[in-house]
Amino acid sequence: MLPAGPLALALALGAVCTASAAPGQALAPCSRIDRPIVAEVFYDATGDDTGHEFVELWNPGGAPASLAGLRLEAGDGAGPSRWTLRWTGGAADSIAARGRFVIGGALVEPPPDAQVSLDLQNGPDAVRLAWPDGVTEVVGYGTQAFAEYACGEPAADVPSGQSLARVPDASNRGANALDFRAWPPSPGRENLPDRDVALIPGTLALDPEQPAPDQGARLSGRVANRGATPLAAGEVTVIGAVASASGEDALFSHAIPVAIAAGDSAAFEVATRPLATGKRTLRVRLALAGDGSSADDRDSLRVRVGPGPLEITEIQFHPASGEAEWVEVRNRDAVSVDPADFTLADRGSARGVPDGGGGALAPESLAVLAQDRGALLARHPALDPGRIWEVSPWSALNNSDDSTGIADAVVLRESDGTPCERVSYSAGGVPAGVPIERRPGGWGPSSDPLGTPLSPPRALAPIAGRFQVTPRRVRAGVASARLAWSLPWPRARVAVEVYDLAGRRVLRALPETASTARGEREWHVEGLSPGLYLVALVARAEDGDGSLRETCAIRIEGAAP
Amino acid sequence: MRARVRHEPAPGAALSAGRAPAPRRALAPCIALAAAVALALGAAPTPAQDFAAPEAPGAAPSPAAFLERALPAQHPSLAAEALVSHWYDVPGLTTRALALSAGWRTLRAAAGISRTGDPELGWSAAALALGVAGEGGGGALRAVVRRDAAPGALAVELGPGAGLEVGGGAWVDAGFGITLSASAPQVLVRGVGPPLARGLEIGALWVMDDLALRLARVSPRGGGGGAWHDATLALAAGPLTVWLGARDQPARGSLGLAARARALAVAGVVESHPLLGETVRLSIGLARLPEADLPP
Repeated sequence: MLPAGPLALALALGAVCTASAAPGQALAPCSRIDRPIVAEVFYDATGDDTGHEFVELWNPGGAPASLAGLRLEAGDGAGPSRWTLRWTGGAADSIAARGRFVIGGALVEPPPDAQVSLDLQNGPDAVRLAWPDGVTEVVGYGTQAFAEYACGEPAADVPSGQSLARVPDASNRGANALDFRAWPPSPGRENLPDRDVALIPGTLALDPEQPAPDQGARLSGRVANRGATPLAAGEVTVIGAVASASGEDALFSHAIPVAIAAGDSAAFEVATRPLATGKRTLRVRLALAGDGSSADDRDSLRVRVGPGPLEITEIQFHPASGEAEWVEVRNRDAVSVDPADFTLADRGSARGVPDGGGGALAPESLAVLAQDRGALLARHPALDPGRIWEVSPWSALNNSDDSTGIADAVVLRESDGTPCERVSYSAGGVPAGVPIERRPGGWGPSSDPLGTPLSPPRALAPIAGRFQVTPRRVRAGVASARLAWSLPWPRARVAVEVYDLAGRRVLRALPETASTARGEREWHVEGLSPGLYLVALVARAEDGDGSLRETCAIRIEGAAP
Repeated sequence: MRARVRHEPAPGAALSAGRAPAPRRALAPCIALAAAVALALGAAPTPAQDFAAPEAPGAAPSPAAFLERALPAQHPSLAAEALVSHWYDVPGLTTRALALSAGWRTLRAAAGISRTGDPELGWSAAALALGVAGEGGGGALRAVVRRDAAPGALAVELGPGAGLEVGGGAWVDAGFGITLSASAPQVLVRGVGPPLARGLEIGALWVMDDLALRLARVSPRGGGGGAWHDATLALAAGPLTVWLGARDQPARGSLGLAARARALAVAGVVESHPLLGETVRLSIGLARLPEADLPP
């Protein structure tokens, strides 16, 4: 029995925490080896911590240990002596020899031995075990201002989603910083098994991301040796399968041909056979004889074979008229789809969610996913607002190419992450402000300098001469005409003005706009009274001194006012 | 120096017989000049379409010009005129017209037909003008009926593709070589709308010896938009007359040349538009002029 009072507490702390020893001097251990110790603290889950936090105790001894009367306390490093009780061991609580005991929230998997809401703070804070006999063990993390919140130097704060784990499990080197490190959460399991291989989450990838139905693909990923001993070449096998209605269809089995030292990782790449068209789930697991933890051996990847239900048909990545960026999509499926069930992204990881449109999109219909719905409608007031969705957050699309010749990518996914379509584009040769659109021969600058949102892509047929207006006779007030030009320069600036027969300018059908050599524009014939008018195209080369003007006549039919 | 008459000044009398400005006129010269300038201030073009003829300021109105603006010549004459206009640089946009005019005592009459454009856009027109004119002034009414070469499905009261316009014009000799005129060629419009909406044109012509200056202002029909200004200066030398014109909206110029050999007259003008290019009008005519108006 230790003496009571401050002196006794000082002695007890001195017995277990001597982290302030001089350099080169051996440190006294932080934990007593004759009783269970703190093996893992998970205090910062990704997102909301509630229900996910846990503290794992490990009994290193060869006999069961009772936890009756043990107090688990949380320390607030913001001030001295701020310890609050989180859990007290009951008479029935015990840990088997070399066993583990998890105290944690309701959402911890597997369920904890003692369920309690720990409400641990992110560092600098601490947890403390206080045994009935007065022995304590402190595990502190983050930069501490008060020595009571750590044994020796506190452990480094860990990022969200990572545990503060004792690695190896029996480490007892005299300072929290030496015994604990950021580690994948492993409640109820060894932190560092003797042999453990893990499939690193998020590393599975398929190339091509969306293979054609009759085309194989290469699946790659990365495995890590999280055990204490090295793994020989060929010891780890990657087993792939594709989920099916009947369970799984085996896809491949691949032995990793390289040795993996403890703590190291290795990449793998496996060729797959062609997969059936549609939405598929690839399941990958690792096999290793004597694997100490199977929880980190599996991962899956949602893939799509063949085209997805939505097709990207036009991209405005560098708007020049205040309409903000937008992407036009087409429902190429046989049934209606709701664009709100998809996400839109660039090459980054942020995925925007469409909102505000008019519900399901009928087959073959077009929709626009816009950065700013209002701005787009202001620029194109004739568009159907029910077919425009605003995406939030919007991933700004790049306007210039990188060293690979790619400016950016537009990535459509279903809300569960299944790829739908990815279009990587180059901004090279695209006049400023002109969207790019999908054509039968590939992607290219839009036929209309202002783009054709909610209008299908058009294959521009050659025209006779430099400038055409069709039709040449239109009904006043209700009709539209198509302005088409074919210029001798790859990039130019064009304007179209309308004059009456006396040569007086009546209106401007197209303000000066950047264009490619071949372009077209729908012109709504508004504001013109019946008569014969002259439609004049004025174009000048963007690079160089070339210019031209061409004039066509158009008859606006109508009764005299 | 007395003005020498080569052509009948149109439409007023100041140049028509080469007479010096008559002091008997009621308006003082300064007032008349001020009125002319004031009338010409404003903005708008001098529109013309079916019977647009190359006209030198101070020349007698040709049959086509009579039909176009309803301004009858001061002196009766029997005249025929053929003309062609190629509009700007638009392929196929060409007007060909034939016009006749006659006069007896103070009565004046003209008739003409024209064809403009290609079969898809073009139209045919027939025009008639009737009026009176004398020493101090004149006036006339004009009517033009048109029919599109390819009438659309538009239902109008005059039949598919058919249109009618009726208007009038008048001029008065203000004295001191000044003639004031007004022309409203589309007072009444029915059926298919005309190829060009034309408003009220008011003008002033000042002739002194071999020089003639015409100022005009044309209001848009219906009051929309701005008016046009037109100014033309002509110089006559023997049987030749050359003239320069300027117009706004947009600013542009024209150069014309006319020649007469007894009853035969030819004229041409090139108007240059800064964007649309050149409009070329040519005419050839025969006229039996009063003795005093014949070239020397």
